[in-house]
This record gives sequence, C-alpha cells and structure tokens, in this order.
Amino acid sequence: MSRYQIDASDLPFAREFLASPIGYHSPGLQRVLNRMRGADWAFKYVLVVEERHARWRLGRLPARRGSAVEIVEGVVYTDLLEAERDIFRRRWRDLTGQDLDIALNSAA
Amino acid sequence: MLPIVAYTDKLTVAAGETLSVMASSFGARQYRADLRRIIQGDTNPEGPGYRDEAVALDLGGSRPAVAKGFYPGSCVIVPGRGMLADLEDFTLAAAVRPTLLGERERTVMALPGFARIGIEADGRVFAEALGRRLVSGGRIATGTWHVLSLTYSAAQERLSLAVSTDDDAASEDVRPRIVTAEAAPAGYGADEVLIAATRGADGRPAGFFDGKIDRPALFDAAIPHDALRRLLADFAQLSRMRSLRAAWDFSQRMTTQTICDISPFQLHGRIHNAPARAMTGWLWKGQELDWKKRPDLYSAIHFHATDVYDTGWEVDFTFTLPDELKSGVYAVRLVPDGNEDTAYYCVFALRPPRDRPSGNTVAFLFPTCSYLAYANHRLGMDVPGTEIGMGRAVELDRHHMFLQANPGIGLSVYEVHDDESGVFHSSRLRPIVDLQPKVKSFLGGFGSNVWQFNADTHILGWLDAIGQDYDVITDEDLHAEGMRLLGRYRVVITGTHPEYHTRNMIEALQGFTDRGGRLMYLGGNGFYWVVSFNDDMPGIMECRRSEAGIRPWEPGHGQFYHAFTGEYGGLWRRNGRPPNHLCGVGMTSQGFDVCEPYVLSPAARDARAAFVFEGLTPGAKIGDFGLAGGGAAGLEVDRADPAQGTPAHALVLASSTRHTDIYLMTPEDLLDPTPDWSGTQADIIRADLTFFETAGGGAVFSTGSIAWAGSMAWNGYDNEIARITRNVLRRFDDPEAFRMPEAGEEG
Repeated sequence: MSRYQIDASDLPFAREFLASPIGYHSPGLQRVLNRMRGADWAFKYVLVVEERHARWRLGRLPARRGSAVEIVEGVVYTDLLEAERDIFRRRWRDLTGQDLDIALNSAA
Repeated sequence: MLPIVAYTDKLTVAAGETLSVMASSFGARQYRADLRRIIQGDTNPEGPGYRDEAVALDLGGSRPAVAKGFYPGSCVIVPGRGMLADLEDFTLAAAVRPTLLGERERTVMALPGFARIGIEADGRVFAEALGRRLVSGGRIATGTWHVLSLTYSAAQERLSLAVSTDDDAASEDVRPRIVTAEAAPAGYGADEVLIAATRGADGRPAGFFDGKIDRPALFDAAIPHDALRRLLADFAQLSRMRSLRAAWDFSQRMTTQTICDISPFQLHGRIHNAPARAMTGWLWKGQELDWKKRPDLYSAIHFHATDVYDTGWEVDFTFTLPDELKSGVYAVRLVPDGNEDTAYYCVFALRPPRDRPSGNTVAFLFPTCSYLAYANHRLGMDVPGTEIGMGRAVELDRHHMFLQANPGIGLSVYEVHDDESGVFHSSRLRPIVDLQPKVKSFLGGFGSNVWQFNADTHILGWLDAIGQDYDVITDEDLHAEGMRLLGRYRVVITGTHPEYHTRNMIEALQGFTDRGGRLMYLGGNGFYWVVSFNDDMPGIMECRRSEAGIRPWEPGHGQFYHAFTGEYGGLWRRNGRPPNHLCGVGMTSQGFDVCEPYVLSPAARDARAAFVFEGLTPGAKIGDFGLAGGGAAGLEVDRADPAQGTPAHALVLASSTRHTDIYLMTPEDLLDPTPDWSGTQADIIRADLTFFETAGGGAVFSTGSIAWAGSMAWNGYDNEIARITRNVLRRFDDPEAFRMPEAGEEG
C-alpha cells in the first residue's frame, strides 16, 4: 500500500503533467506519478496497440497473470501524449474521487 | 492476437544444414511458409522503414494449421521396469516444502492407477490407494519442510497417511498426524512413478506440485513414520534396507536430466520440463553455500507448474538452407489464411560455414543468450513498476496479448513463477514471440519502443545501408567454438543489449581483443550476467541472479551456484570478468523514458581518436536525436570506471551529462542509499563513449548506451552517429595494428 495519497495540494503537479506528460518532471510530479503507476493497483490502465505507432485502445490489465485484458469500450487514441493525459485524468478520479478538470478550474 | 505461432529446432544453422519448423494454430486454419532475410524490423514511421527480402526457396504450399497447445509443468518420471507390479505392503514417503497452495490439488508422488500422495487446495494432505482416499486433519503451511508418508499393511488391512512438520526450534521429537482407514489388499502396482505430478486423463503429466521435494522413496513394507524420518535422513543406511524398492537422491547427477535411484533396483528416472536442481534440501541449515562442496545438502528439486523446457510440438516441415545463401539474419515467415498482417516470424541466424572462413572480416554477434533471457518476457504485464521505469503507459502489442492469454508458453528469467520464486531457466525449444521483427516492447523508450532483437535490426539495417559484408554468428556459436570462430574476423559488432554471457563467450571475446581483434560494443548494460548452458539439455539456459545487479528476484539463500555448471551466478563483475575490463565501460543506470545526447570531452580531440570523427565537424553535442527516446545515450547506460577495470589509457570521448530522475543507481553501486543518486543529480549516471587500444594491436569502441543504434537509424542512417559508427568500423576493419599509447600519451 502506497503511503503517499494524492489530494488537492497536488493540483500544480497535475498542471505540470498535462503540459508535458513525458520527460523531465519535478520531484513533486514524479511522486504523484509513482503513486499512480506503482504497485498498488487491482488493475492497470494499458494501451492496447491496434495499429503500431498510430492507434491504441485503452485497456485495463488485471494484476493476475493470465487474466484477460479488459478493453474499455469507446476509448481510442491516435496520439500517445493525449493517451497519457487521459489516463492521468482517469487515475486522478480513481484516487481522489474528483474530476481533475473541475478541480483545476475551481482551483484556478 | 497471433493466429499462428511457431519455433525452429535451432537458432543458428549453416548453409547446407536443415531446419525444422514446429507450428501451432491459435485460430489459423492453414498457412503458407516462405523464407525472408530480415533487414530492418522497426515499423516506426519516423524510422528507415520496415525491410525484409524474400528468398527464392520453395517451402511447400499451403499446410493445415494444427492446434498443439502448451503443456507447462515440471516433474520426475521414473519407468517402473516391472519393479512396481507386486506391491502388497508398501510405503511411499517424501520430504516436501510447498511454496504454493490453493485453487487446485497438487500431487507430491504418484504411482498412477495405484497410489498417490498430494495436497488439497485447502492445504490438507491427502492420499489415495486401494480405492480409499485419506485426508489429513490439519493444514500444512508453505515455506516449511514436512515429511509425508502413506503406508499399507496387508496383514492389518490398514492404510495410514502420516504428516510430520519440522520445527527447527523444538526440543521434542516431531509428532506426526496420522489418519488411517481399513482397506482390503489389492495386490497390484503401477508401471511408473511420477514425482511432483500424476498422469492426467489425456496421459500427460498433470496435477503439478509447486515447491521442493527431497528424497522420495518407496518401500515394499509398511514403515512406521518415526522410523521413516530417521531412515530418510541417512541415505547410506537407507540404501541398505531390505524393504527399499527405490529412493531417489536428487543430489546425484545434478547437472543432468537424470534422477538416480540409490536402491539396488536402479529405478533411475528423468526430469521433465527442467525443474530447478541443486536446491537446498531438507537437511540444509546453512552449513554450506556451494552445492559442489556438500552436494548431499542440495538434495531437493524445486518444481513449478510453470516450468517449461521443450514445448515438444510435432514437426510441420524441415528444409535445407541453400548452399549459396549468405550469412545473415533470416526468418521463416508463416502467413496464416492469406493474411500477411498476422504473419509469424521464426527468426534464426544463418551462420558462416563451420569448416572454413567465409572471407568476411566483420561479424555481427547475434546475442541469442540475451534474446533467451528476455524470451516472452512479461515485464510490462507482471511487474507494476515497469510503468514507472518507462515514464509512460505500457503498450501491449499483439504478442503481449498472446502472452497474457497463454502463460503456458513459459516464462523468461525476468519473471517469477506463480509461487514467487525466480525463473532460473529459459529455453529456445518453444515459440519466442518477442523474437520477431515489427514487434513493440516495453523498455525501448519513447519513440520506436523496440527492444533486443528488433532494436538490433537498427544495426542490421545500417550494415545493409552502408553495403557492408558481414557474417552473423550467435552466442551459441561463440560458446561452442570460442576464439576458433572469432579468429576469422577483424571486427566483432555487438547488439544493443548483449547482457548475458557464458564464461566461454566472455573469455573468447577477451581473448579476441587481446590478440588484436576489434570489438564494437554498440549497446548498453552488456556483459553483465553470468549464464550457463547444459550439456545434457540443448537449448536451455540458466541464470541465478546472486548478490547484486538490477534484478527481479534472488535465487534464495544458499542457491547462488548454477546447477548446470556449478558456476557462481550473478554479475560478471563479481566473477573476475568485469565488463569495464573487456569493453571499457560497465552498467551504471537505467531508465526507459527519454534519452540524451553525448557531450564531447577534450579526449575527443586526441589524435588517437581522430579516425572516429573523420569527416565530421561535431558541435559540443552528438546524438541529440534518435528513434529510442530521442537521443543516442539512454535506456541502459554504462560508465567508464578504472576501479571496475577500465584500462588506464582508455579515452572517454563523450558522455551524457544528465538524465531524468527515472534513471537511478544499480544496487551493486548503491551501497548506501541516499536520495541524491538520480539522473538529474548524480554525475555517475551517464553513458561514456569510450575507445581504447589493446596490447595485441586490437581496439575497443563502446557506446555504453542501448539507444545508440536508434540514433544510427535516424534520418535513413544519414547522421553523425551513423557516420561515427561507420568511421570506427572502417578503421577497425583495417588490418593495420593499433598501437598502445606511450607513457604520457594517454588522453
């Protein structure tokens, strides 16, 4: 179980991520990402390649080896950075119960 | 997913020799096969483009695609040879240390059709014989040794199941739990003994055990449990017992598939699907850590329901490689139901002739040991932290979806078994679905995201683009032929990540550079782990990750020595062959998000290295581009370090000067963890572009970065990284001896 819990004080890091999802991150954002991407999960969002370098579907990978990957219906990405942003928003909702965009707007 | 998958009986073959193809349908109805030469496998639209080349060779027409399936699980099979047919009174016994219980019944020992001992899903021991089933009252635990016995006395018409549990701290004798039942004598036996499995309805081994079993034995008398415990602890006495029908001492012939019976009946058997041997046994209490010195303490085998050695599919077809075909990387392509998009590629190396040099002076060392180590790896699926290391979401390509649906294909040495113990073995006698062109990976960085074989095709494509003649030799060839093979060449080029080496291989490469050979190490984290082959089991490799190194598991206390050879497992750095000595650099860090350029050092202007930059007017940085993470330095990076064996005269021509904080230290260097050992803070986290001459007139050029080849392939191989690599190859292929710098001349 991860000790770090994401809350509203992490909203600046969410903004940082949405601006630049891949590459150098501040230590605060890296901690948020470690929480989102680490071992504490019952399933994991994954990108199921439909067409290499062009088209991905969102999947949920169960922790158990050999269990089926669940495809999230209706979610298709054609850009990896947009996929990262969408997965970040979904995890924010999963971990805080809040809609990230609403939280960002109300914090602005 | 993958409608058809297949494997070949070899990964290296010479012209004029045969290759067999074993295929199985996973939805395909039929398929056609052809032969392709693989030139460049990365499909990234920003790269040079996928290229292969058809070889005009008729591999037959359409064939039916037959479903064959996977059958993992290890055990011991002992033919009865008529010695199991007259058992009236009997005792079956073994010491067991289960490592996984639950969900299903597991068999410890079976005489199929006659008697069986096992553990139920809820942890209770059961036994079956003479039409009765006994179930022990208590549940046994994982991680503890237990002695199980099933006895039958015909005179008393009594069947007894006894379970005793070891307690190291107890002063009293252990007390067995015993359940009994009346049973009329049946007077018959069995044709075979299976240990760690029984026979399923289809005749295959089934009901596999996960855990250790030690000294299973069979008697033609009913032996009380207390006496049995004393006897099992003393093989010398046990072997003299008149009632002994068989007792298997797993500590004998541990490097082979043979299982030895110490009874006079010599009911020897064989292992099935390569369980782990040379494992600490019932009597091991830390007395010795090297099984070669006290093999008697290493009398356990660790069995897993997930072990795989030889998938054993029937051969679909066999063909002969044409004599005129040049050495290279090829694939038998299987196109299912006319759909080329779902074709499966069985990749192999066509090596040069065995009996004579081809005339080529350049060899590409096709790193089959590293391909085997990663074969069918599931890092992005089984290891949650992989996403942190990637710095972005895991991509699951079609072959990953196939792996997720078919774990029975067998694991790589990056996985743990279902009982969380490390996977020591990886075999090529099964489909290796990530040893294919086109496939994406987990660790290849933002961009192409290709790894191992497919990343190595950036080098193959470059060799093709510059018109270089070359031979392809594999790790297996190097292991078998050593310097006899390398001596044919002036230059050996490695792949992007030649991480795993046998002693024969690493000694041959060192012998090569010492004797004037030139080594171009175009990768990162090379020459890192010790691996071993097994003379009795072709095609399988062992790796025990002892002590240090970035590793997904440890081999367990007292189990650091390889069973296949007795070698100490772990890092070559701890075995007297540090990579820095061979190639000037050694593993220092890894991160799989983005990569960086190298910054040139003053040594880049040294006259000794002038040939490297010939025709270039490089700026302060080189390689600020690439298909792997956008830079030439990254993914896994190596540093020069005299303390680890980098020659004093080595020139570090350029280094990466920062990485993201996903890049951290290796455990072997991180002796005292503090939070400053990360890519934006620690100078030690860098790739060092390194060159040095050897006393024998040879030379070594090392990139210390997996991402280097991804930059070579940038802009259609027309860039400064490709040019530098070509400059080095041209000079290295020149027979003029390199000269060691005089004292004071060192950069």
